Amino acid sequence: MADVHLNIAGRPYDVHCADGQEEQLRQLAALVDEKARGIQGGTEVRQLLFAALMLADEASEARGKVQKAEPQSDSLRAAVALAESREAAARDELHAAQAREQQALGEARAAAEREAAARAELEKLRQGAPATSASPAGRHDRALMQIADRIEALAVTAEQMA
Amino acid sequence: MELDLDESSLAIGRIERALSRIEKALADRANRPAPATAAPAADASALKAEVAAVIGELDRLIAEAKNG
Repeated sequence: MADVHLNIAGRPYDVHCADGQEEQLRQLAALVDEKARGIQGGTEVRQLLFAALMLADEASEARGKVQKAEPQSDSLRAAVALAESREAAARDELHAAQAREQQALGEARAAAEREAAARAELEKLRQGAPATSASPAGRHDRALMQIADRIEALAVTAEQMA
Repeated sequence: MELDLDESSLAIGRIERALSRIEKALADRANRPAPATAAPAADASALKAEVAAVIGELDRLIAEAKNG
């Protein structure tokens, strides 16, 4: 136990407290002394009574503020949770959008490569590069046209002979 | 098999019309009295050779079309 000498409202007091709590006890005594000295007139007991009443009033007011703040704290916590949830959803959506963008970029790149290859092939054909093989249908059409020419010539001859 | 219908249809139409003309000319010739002067033998021979060549070409083309 520690002995502490206090002076409140002009009167000395010797009190005991647990070791290590001396400074806290002095601060509390200073608060009571300040309140008591702020009250002018009256007896010492009256000064201490009013100091005790004022400190009780402050304590009551502080307790009310704490109780009033608790619902606000709950709302604040809920708002924070909601914001965190929305942030997580937005982050997921962002990742999904980035993945879609990457996929679209890949597809566009592949399409561009296919288009470039097709253009190169077309250009090669335009420049008279040897065709890999003539279309069978095209060959048949040309042969049919030549046969038609020859049969028409035969028809002319037949008509002349008739 | 790819088919250019415009080209092949046009050719076949021309062949059909030419054959009809030949048939008509031959029928007219058969129904008419024999002409005083027959066609020279060389011309007739060339005509036959051309008919045979065209038939051969058609056969070859048909076979090629069938075999792809």
